[in-house]
Parts: sequence; structure tokens; C-alpha cells
Amino acid sequence: MNVSYRWLKALLPTLEMGPRELAEHLALRGAPVEEMVSPGEALADVVIGKVITAGRHPNADRLSLCTVEGPEGVVQVVCGAPNVTAGKYYPFAPVGAVLPGDFRIKKAKIRGEVSEGMLCSARELGLGQDHDGIMELSGEFTIGESFVGALGLDDTTMEVEITANRGDLLSHVGVAREAAGPGAAVEFPEIPGDPGVSAGYVEDAVRAEAGGVFVEIRDPDLCSRYLGAVIRGVRVGPSPAWLQTRLRGAGARPINNVVDATNYVMLEMGQPLHAFDLGRLGGSGIVVRRAAAGESTFTTLDGEERTLTGDMLMICDATVPVAIGGVMGGRNSEVEDDTVDVLLECALFDPKSIRATRRALGMSTDASYRFERGVDPEGMRPALERAVAIILATAGGALDGPVLDVCAHAFEAPTIRLRLARVAHVLGVPFTAAEVTDYLTPLGFAVDGDGDGILTVRVPGFRSYDVTREIDVIEEIARAHGYDDFPADLGAYRPGTVRDHPMFHLEEELRGAFVARGFFEAQTPAFVPEGEGDVRVSNPLNALEPFVRRTLAPSLLRRAEYNLRRGNRDVRLFEMGTSFRRVGPGEPPEEINHLVGVLTGRRAPDHWSGPSAVLDVWDLKSVMEEAAQRAYPAGARVNPADGPAGRDVPWVTARYEDGTVLSVVDADGREVGRGGTVVEGAMDVPAWVGEVFAFEMALPAEVIPTPTPVFQPLPQHPGMERDLALLVPDAVNSAAVTAVAREGGGEILREVGIFDVYRGEGIPPGMRSLAVRLHFQAAERTLKDKEVDRVVGGIVQRLQEELGVEHRG
Amino acid sequence: MTDPNPLASLKTLEEEALGAISGATDAGEVEAIRIRFLGRKDGRISALLKGLGGLSAEERPVIGQEANRVKGVVQAALDAKEGELAGPAASQEYDLTLPARGVWRGAAHPISQAMDEIWGIFRDLGFTRARGPEADTEWYNFVALNTPLDHPAADEQDTLYLQDSVLLRSHTSPVQVRTMQTHEPPIRIIAPGWVYRRDTYDATHTPAFMQIEGLVVDEGISFVDFKATLAEFARRYWGPGTQVRFRPSFFPFTEPSAEVDVKRVVTRADGTREETDWLEIMGAGMVDPAVLENAGYDSERYTGFAFGMGPARIAMLKYGVRDLRTFFENDIRFLSQFAR
Repeated sequence: MNVSYRWLKALLPTLEMGPRELAEHLALRGAPVEEMVSPGEALADVVIGKVITAGRHPNADRLSLCTVEGPEGVVQVVCGAPNVTAGKYYPFAPVGAVLPGDFRIKKAKIRGEVSEGMLCSARELGLGQDHDGIMELSGEFTIGESFVGALGLDDTTMEVEITANRGDLLSHVGVAREAAGPGAAVEFPEIPGDPGVSAGYVEDAVRAEAGGVFVEIRDPDLCSRYLGAVIRGVRVGPSPAWLQTRLRGAGARPINNVVDATNYVMLEMGQPLHAFDLGRLGGSGIVVRRAAAGESTFTTLDGEERTLTGDMLMICDATVPVAIGGVMGGRNSEVEDDTVDVLLECALFDPKSIRATRRALGMSTDASYRFERGVDPEGMRPALERAVAIILATAGGALDGPVLDVCAHAFEAPTIRLRLARVAHVLGVPFTAAEVTDYLTPLGFAVDGDGDGILTVRVPGFRSYDVTREIDVIEEIARAHGYDDFPADLGAYRPGTVRDHPMFHLEEELRGAFVARGFFEAQTPAFVPEGEGDVRVSNPLNALEPFVRRTLAPSLLRRAEYNLRRGNRDVRLFEMGTSFRRVGPGEPPEEINHLVGVLTGRRAPDHWSGPSAVLDVWDLKSVMEEAAQRAYPAGARVNPADGPAGRDVPWVTARYEDGTVLSVVDADGREVGRGGTVVEGAMDVPAWVGEVFAFEMALPAEVIPTPTPVFQPLPQHPGMERDLALLVPDAVNSAAVTAVAREGGGEILREVGIFDVYRGEGIPPGMRSLAVRLHFQAAERTLKDKEVDRVVGGIVQRLQEELGVEHRG
Repeated sequence: MTDPNPLASLKTLEEEALGAISGATDAGEVEAIRIRFLGRKDGRISALLKGLGGLSAEERPVIGQEANRVKGVVQAALDAKEGELAGPAASQEYDLTLPARGVWRGAAHPISQAMDEIWGIFRDLGFTRARGPEADTEWYNFVALNTPLDHPAADEQDTLYLQDSVLLRSHTSPVQVRTMQTHEPPIRIIAPGWVYRRDTYDATHTPAFMQIEGLVVDEGISFVDFKATLAEFARRYWGPGTQVRFRPSFFPFTEPSAEVDVKRVVTRADGTREETDWLEIMGAGMVDPAVLENAGYDSERYTGFAFGMGPARIAMLKYGVRDLRTFFENDIRFLSQFAR
């Protein structure tokens, strides 16, 4: 809402705050000022100039040679504008004037002719984008007077942010009410030339008629009241300067005196009005009804053809729609230059219906914006009367007969029971009945006390939308008292009943582990292209990413790609985020927290003692194992995958090569994650990029508690080690070898380790040599060589029999 | 010729040698001493050992052992002196100014770090953390929170829908309602997590972003407790000397509603201290009684307050990041600036 400071000051003559102070005050009342503009500030040197003569420049076709009367008498000016006309007034910058942008006017010779000053366009003055010609001023002016003063530009336009509950602040009166100090009242400034006519009202609940013009409400649920005033014999033309100035100060563009009168009242009082050309209303009447079957399109006054539905409330003449009620008027009944008779509408529409209609039409107007937020039901007659006064004062004509007032449901001001004890309970500070009355009265509320700590608060019409309950009144008291004037002493509190959610702990633990391994945490939004998710957003803003993701790896790989292409050679990224999976129609998707990682480059920074090795699959397996052990503490394993995963396994993307796929399996044998080498060509990266590894793992839906460690007595007797060199066929993996060794070792075998793998000379093809170290120890005794030898012999024998593994020595 | 008292001679030799070594001033001198006493051919200790042949079988091992001890002592003294004279310049092999062996340093995402810092303060103020689904129903996201869909207030959060009444939550407030449905008061939680809005990417908007909301409900919680708790948070997060301001505002789920602003004192590079403008850091208010009732609480008995903030915005202010999109590029050159 653009608020003119001068307009506010006219409504509230006692206002002492300047614009800056007022902005601060409004912020602390809940209506912060976003921006303040004072266009007049830079135009102190510009004056009103009158063009006496305008002729062609002798040496240039496109230029005119004019004489302009200014403060220093008549001077010669060369002008490039096509619209310069003798006898008219323009903003004039004489020699020595400085225009916005520090542009100083000098005496100059243009194509051989002396020019002493400049006639200005709106754009040159910083008053708009209009640069088609110089700014022609309508009305009577004193030559040489200050341009800013003559046009009332010594104003500050304040852009006030109005919250959705405060429709009443979408007017100068509303803002003035918030600015008013105790005891100060808002007064309506007099309309210059107001003839003071009043013709009375003719009232009915359905249909009212006077002087051959009628108004009828057929849909009282969507329009509870409709006022129509008939003014005959107007002369449509430009508004006088005072009216134009007011509108400009509030950021509105003057159009003509009739339309400007309605806009003035809307900006001043918050009541949207509409003027119809009565001569173009068929049957000389207004019917308020929903669009009928067959009325499928309608051209609004902006020239757009709108598609109607049967839910939309239309203002019609006897036969056809002439306006979309509360949203926008129609082309077919618009006030134009030749309009003589006017029907002025002041109506009260249902906010929800207005909102539904304007959303269905994909539009929002000054009127619909206000009706959606609620317009003062008690302010209708004053608003209409003020608009009539302005039209009569600026466009002439006469009010024809009584005003038609069809009121289907009369407004009843709500009253609210306010308990002072409740006020103290919620706000933490007690307030007396007198204090409450002092705070609420200037805001338009009427307060009655019963003396027993319970007050009755009558809500004014303009607040009847947002103040409906006791708590709404309590907020008004807090606002009027000033939030900053409440104490802020930290008191005692009771601990809550909600346990800190364990998933946050798991996330913290994983984050810490990955950061300690030199990984950077990434955050990527959940929106992905088709193929990476199966839950679609029904109203996406970005058509390229209409899904929420089922798998996180592609998003993270794109971040890895981004880094590699920017020369970040060592990329270690991880992310934790939600995977969405479709469940069934009408049901919210299933959500599973995923952990995803990507790694490539060197294992450590290079050192002068020797370059670092590059990350390989054993690094991948290491991080996967750590993640698996932390997320699934009860025995998760990372093993080669059994084969390609089906499409229903979300953490595998087609980008992984089957050959080096690792699988994370939880204690129950369910696969919960996969990782591997990213297929060459899957990422668009520079040629120097080596192998890239990635993995994705689902975190458990409920955090699995880590078993509490149980103390084991430390060994009292020495242990013993035995190394075995084994010839293992390629078909047998090392996990099978260690498993057999464990089984054969019994309870004295404490550890099985692999310390070398060798192929080549001396080893038959299709075989490899595995060096295995066995660590034996018994809790209660010192082991004897003979016993250990026997157990080792047993292991060797089982390896031979079960796996075809040969013992080399 | 046989030494009549080889033990005494050895003692004298030891003293002479150690004296000479301690007086030596350069490496050449040390080398000369080494040859004089330990030289294989004519060294005096060697010579003495050669003379052992004439000793009795009882004496020989005793003298031999003593001679070897003296030899060792002299040898060690020579080595020590040599090292001392060589000084540090000679040990380039152990140039400890060379860089250490490095390890990669990782970092949590700056928004995670900001969230962690915020959580740490609320933990100290007695809060715990709650979570809820990111895809939720209209009822939890709007209706339960006193936001009718046909009211302009619903426009403020242009929402992304998945199906008819299923949407991507536009704030983490649904977690508040779910928590109240499953727990008795006192409630003292924060709910951190992703939220979604129908926005395009620009310097200050992203369609998905992190939010932290909080909720306190108990008997006797007032506007004073609300102000006190959030002012305490703001001062702990932004530093002592921070001014906190509460401005009236509007949210359908709180009443009275407020915006919380802070004004910080920052120290410039030249050491001068300066006040910032008022910075908006969160929206908050007393929980609307309708929300308490919708969650099944008796709003006459219980009151409370709620608040919400965007850690990304707070991280921008704190770290001086100008463009929100920087957080989502995940450029390692950016992320590594937050390594600790």
C-alpha cells in the first residue's frame, strides 16, 4: 500500500511525526515501511514555465525554437519534443538549475540558436518513464512558481507492508488511525467545490428503484448490500490539480475526474467503488447475480476476454453482465469521455467468493485485493457520499433522486467478552479496565465495563474481519501497549515430555564421521528430473524438475561433476536427505532418510616425502563399512552384490557398473545400500578425472540402539600366532576362507587376518596365494604348541575339503 | 714390557681422553683425538689392550672388561662432541620446518553448522528436537494451524502439492501439531528440517530450504516468557550487546504475533565497532488458542509460544554470504571455508 505522507497529514492534522519517525512508529505497530520516495526533493530548481511561441528551428527539422516565460522573464529555448504547444504550461529548468542525476542546465547554442533552459519530460524529472514528450500541465498556474509546490510533489510516498489480516490498513484512514496518538481523531479534509448535496436513501432488502433506475440483489450470499447513486449530466475530463496530486502521492495514475473520484475514495477510505456509464446499462438497472449458463466469456475494461463460471458473481444490467463483481468492470459499461450519466456502485461482497473468482481468473485488482481482506460494512454510505461530492465538484452534474440502498443482510457489530484476568494470563502483565479502554478506543473499539473484571468490547466494522475472539482483542492491547514495553525476564521452566529424536543423533554421528574422513557435507534440494523420482509435484514451478527424488545419488553426482569441471580435483562429498517413494493413490509418500557419498582423487594431500595414492575401491568399502556399522550397529555387512539390483532398489542408479558393486546388508539380511564405481561417461567431466566412487544407503526408519558394551576380563595368559600360506582357487572368495577358519578354530581362535594376497610366479593360473594370520588365546590357561598345531591342522583340512584350498606352508 | 698397574693406567687414559674431548673446538681436533686414543694401530687404548697378553689368566678378563668400558665411554664422548660441534646446520636431513604430512580436512555444510549452533543454544535452554514428515496433509500444514485455505494468509506460502490434499510442507509447524497430539505438556521442542515453497531460485529464494521452528506449551506461559526466551536466544547467538526488538505482525497460528529483529555490534577490519541496521531474524508469537484446541489441548489451561527461523538466512547474515544459491552449488572451495 502506497501511502502519501501529505494525505495522512490532511487526515490527521495533529500528526507531528515526520515521515522517518512515522515509518518507525508504524513498524512497531505491525505495518513496516519498505521504502520511502520523495520525488520532489531533487526538483527544487524546476519552475512552471509557459510557452509563449513555438516555431520550427531554422536549422533542424526535429527541433522547435520556442520562447518561454519563466521567473526571469521571457527567454529563448530550443526544444526537441514533438508536443510543445504555445500557451501551455510545462516544467521548466532555467539556466543554472540542477536536475536529478546532477545534470546542470547551461546556456547553450544548439544548431546555431541560443537556448536558455530546458522544458522537461516526466522521465527527466524522475517522475515516470514517459519520454514521448515534455510534461504538459493541465490547470492554471502562476508563471515561475515552484513546480514541486504547484503539483504538490513535496510529499513522501511510503510503501507500507500490510499483513493479510489487516484489510482496514489498505487505506489512508486506516494508516492514520494507527498513527494517531491518544485523543487524536481522524478528520476528512473538505472537498474543494463540494456542493453539499444530499438526496436521502431508498432502502429495500431485495430491489430498490427510483427515477427509473433500479438495483436488485439475487445472490445475497455473495453480495449482502449494494448501493447505487445516479449522477446525471457530468462532463468527463481531467481532474483538478489537487485530486491528481493526491493520487500521484499515493502512487496512482490520474485517469479522468469520475474514475479518479472512485480511486480517491478507495485510497482514502478503503472502499472500492465502481462507476458505470448509465447510458450503456440496458434496462437502466443493476442485477446482482451469478453468471448464467451461456455467459461464458466477458471482456473486462483492460480489454482481456475472461472465461466465466457459474460460481462467479456478476454485476449485470437487465440482460447482460457489465462487471465481475468486486474484481473488475466491463468494457461494455465503462465511463468514457462522452459519458453523461453515471451510476456509482458501492457494494459489499463476500471475501471468499471474491478470492475464488479472482484466483480462477488468474488476476488481482485493487478492488479484489481489498474485498478479499474485508471492506468496512459500516463505511459504505460515507464512502459513496464522498465520491458523489467529488464527482459533483469536479465533473459537474447533479445527483438524481435518492440513493438506492439494497441491503439483504444488515451488518451487526460483534461484541466480545474480555476478561482482564485472561489478559494478564496471556500477556504476563496486568492491565486495568481504564488502560484497556485508553488503548482500544483510538483504534475504533467501544469498551464497556461491568466492574467485575469483565469488559464488553464492540468491534468496529472495519475490524470485524480479524477481531472476532477474545485473543484478538488481547493482541490489540499488546500492540497498543508496545511489544518493547513488556518485560523480558527469563523465568523458571519445566522440562518437556518430548525425548530428543534419536535420528538427529545418528545424523550427527554420521556427519561427524564423514567430516573426520575429510568429506564435505553437501545440501541439495529434493527436486529432480523425471527418472530420479516417482512422486510428482502437481504444480511445479520448474517444469524441468517436477519430481521429488527417490534416490539422492544423481543430485550429488551433479555436484561432484560441478566441482570437477571447476578444477576441484579431490572431491569427497556426502549428503543426508529424504527419499520419497510412492505408496498408493491418495496417500502421502513413504519417506526414508538416505545417506549418499561420492569420492574421487587422492587419498591424502601430496607430501614432499612422496605423492599420495589415489582413492580406490578399498576406500569406498571403508567408508561404506563405517556408515553401515554406525547406522546398523547390530551386524551390518558390506559385501559384493549378488547381481544387478532391480528397479525397486532406489539407491542403485544405472550409473553404477555391475562389476564392482558393493552391497550393504543389515543384520536381517535386507539390502539397505549399494556403492561402486561410477560408469565412465555417466558424468560430463574433464579427461583427467580418474575413477569416481559413489554409494547410497537407506538409514533405518527407527534408529537401532547401539548395544551397551559389556566388560570382558583382560587375558591373563599369553596368546600365540600362526601364519598360513594358502593357495586359493579364484572361485573362492576370502570371506569364505576366513569363515571356514573361524569355524574350525573354535573358541581359542580370537582373530583371523589377511596380510597378503599374491598372484604370479610360482602360483598356478586360476589360483592366488592368501597369507592368513591366526591369533589364538585361551582365557584360563596358557596354550600349548601341540594343541594349537592340532587346531591349525584341523583348519587346513577343512579348507582343503570344503573349499579346495591348499596349504603351501 | 708389562704395565705394572693397568687399571690405574686405564683410569688415567680415560681422564686424559675426556679432558681432551671436552677442550676440542673443531671436528679436526675431535678426529685427531679419536686417532690418538682409539686408532686401530697406534691408539693408546688399543696399545694398552695389546699388552694384555702378559697378564695372568685371572687378571686378563677384569682388565679387558674395564678397557672395553673405557673405550665405549670415550667413543660416546667423541660422538657427542662431534654432534655438538656440527650443530643444527648440519642436520638438514631433519629440517623440521618442512611441511608435515597432511590429512584432508572435511566440513559440515555451513547451514548444518548454523543449525547446530542454534540447536546448541536451545538445548541449553531446555529444548529437545522433534521431526515429522516432509510430505504432509493440508490439515496438518494449514487447517490445524488456523490457516483456512480460502484466506489470503494462505497466499503467503505458495505451496507445492503432490496430490489433492497432500503437499510438501511449507513450514515445519505440522511437527508442532503432531507433537502435541502424541505428547502431554510441558512441550519444549524445536523442529528443524526441510520445507518447500513454490518459488524460483534467486539470491534470496529457493524452492526448498531449511527451517527451525520451536514450540513451548505449558500452564502459565505468557508473552513475557516468550520475549525472554527469544531475546536470550538472540543474545547468545548474535553476541552480547545485541539489541532485540519485537514488532507486531501476523501469522494465522500465533496471536499476538511478532517479528523479531536484532541489531548487532560488529567489529570492522580496522577495529572500529559499528551497529548494524535492524535485521529480521524470525517470526514468532503466542500460540493461537485455535491451534491448541485443534491439537487436543485445553487452551484455557495451557498457553504457549512458537517461533520459526531460516538457518540459511541467518547463515547469510553471519558469514556474509550474499546469494542463497551459493549454499546449493556445494563448491568445495566454498565448503572448505567452513572447515574447523
